[in-house]
Amino acid sequence: MRKFFPVEELARDSRFTQINMRQAQADPRTALVGPNAARRAKTNRLTPSRPDASEAARALMHGIFVGEIQALEGAGRTCHDFETATGSNSAAGTETDSVPFALKLDMARQAWDESRHVEISVKLGEWMGAEIGQFAENTVLFEAACSTDPVMRLAGVNRALEGLAIDVFTTMKEFGEVAGDPFLGFCEDWMLADEVTHVKMGSDWLRKVTENDPERRARALEFQSIVDKLFSFGGTRSESSDSPIGLARRFRELAGFTSDEVDEIADVSLAALEDRKAFAAAAMSSSGMSSSGMAADE
Amino acid sequence: MTVTVEPEVFRFVEFDNAMIAEVGNKLAAQLGIDRPIVVRVDETTPLGRVRATIGDTIEVTVESGAFEDSKRPRRQSEVATTINLGRILLRVRDRLHGGFGEAPLDDDIALAQMAAWETYCAGRLSRLGLRINRQRWLYNFRNRHGFSDKADAAFDAVWAADSLTWVQLEAISDAAVAVPSSA
Repeated sequence: MRKFFPVEELARDSRFTQINMRQAQADPRTALVGPNAARRAKTNRLTPSRPDASEAARALMHGIFVGEIQALEGAGRTCHDFETATGSNSAAGTETDSVPFALKLDMARQAWDESRHVEISVKLGEWMGAEIGQFAENTVLFEAACSTDPVMRLAGVNRALEGLAIDVFTTMKEFGEVAGDPFLGFCEDWMLADEVTHVKMGSDWLRKVTENDPERRARALEFQSIVDKLFSFGGTRSESSDSPIGLARRFRELAGFTSDEVDEIADVSLAALEDRKAFAAAAMSSSGMSSSGMAADE
Repeated sequence: MTVTVEPEVFRFVEFDNAMIAEVGNKLAAQLGIDRPIVVRVDETTPLGRVRATIGDTIEVTVESGAFEDSKRPRRQSEVATTINLGRILLRVRDRLHGGFGEAPLDDDIALAQMAAWETYCAGRLSRLGLRINRQRWLYNFRNRHGFSDKADAAFDAVWAADSLTWVQLEAISDAAVAVPSSA
């Protein structure tokens, strides 16, 4: 079976349309400035009180669904792409082309979890009135799972993106509970428990595999920071009230992040939000609009 | 009646002014709207809110997300354009002709009541032959009225209706909201 599968060749049927993070970032529109920005709610958080709450929840649910597919594919690839470490390397997998057998077992367990999450997400999507493939599939998660160094995958996928999943599931769980949805909060809570485990797996193996290789650990943590920044473009996850997904600090701590690390992710997310505001304001300025939305010559 | 669309050329999104006008003209004819319509698209935001002001001319303000192809960001969807323009024009028609004189201004309508009115519009659009996802509107109705058999029965009544007044719609919505979500 082929190893190191490129993101462009992921198997999808005709219902799916894929975009990458770069394409998503190329969209100059923003809800935060513009002609009607002053009229909009000051917070972008997903709550039932938002007039567009049902639409936003449905789109987020579809994002969860495609994320689960990619997480399944990524964990499965990590089981297969690397040799099983042997001899003196067997416990830690210190070579970049091999991993400990126990790490493969954890990835296999994760693949099993993710496949269950895919099925649950499909059912929840139907319940909310979404259709498979209704929204574009952002392939960022699998892109982070394409590294040839398994430690990078642990940092980028398990710690950064599965960490994002914790934030998303927490948001959806709270949304379902407040709305009185009999299924949403319950299902999200069960999936959330798995995601916490996946993040902890990433944290534990990252520390273990790089125990005697500080440079490799530093590279992996830098990669995690970059993935965090990429996914935070537009401030989707910062602790600012402009962000739709609040950081679930307690869950992140349970998943193996230190308080300093959680603080750093919040700072990076807030910086990304400010970048996007500046970017949007510049784009509108170049098109003759001011950030208040009035034509510049009026 | 003529539908005009602003802007003529889009910079932030790949929308087609002529296509929006064509869809608007077709809907206006189907719905019997007899006043000029101006559709103003705010292309600086990806959100999807649609509003209307009724005067001698009907002014419709659309955030670009309402006409967007959810599979292809920044590209236009004729289906989304038709459905979302159809929803607002049906509400305009209700206010002009359909016994909705007592309805508050849109900004003053409670979320549950707006969900009921949107359901009323979506049901009628589906009977005009548009492809409407009924479950989408049921979920929205449940979020606003509770997840209960009584709320579902209210949804069915509103969805199937063709000639409700605001007073009737408000009464159905208020009665459904009053039921605890565990019922």
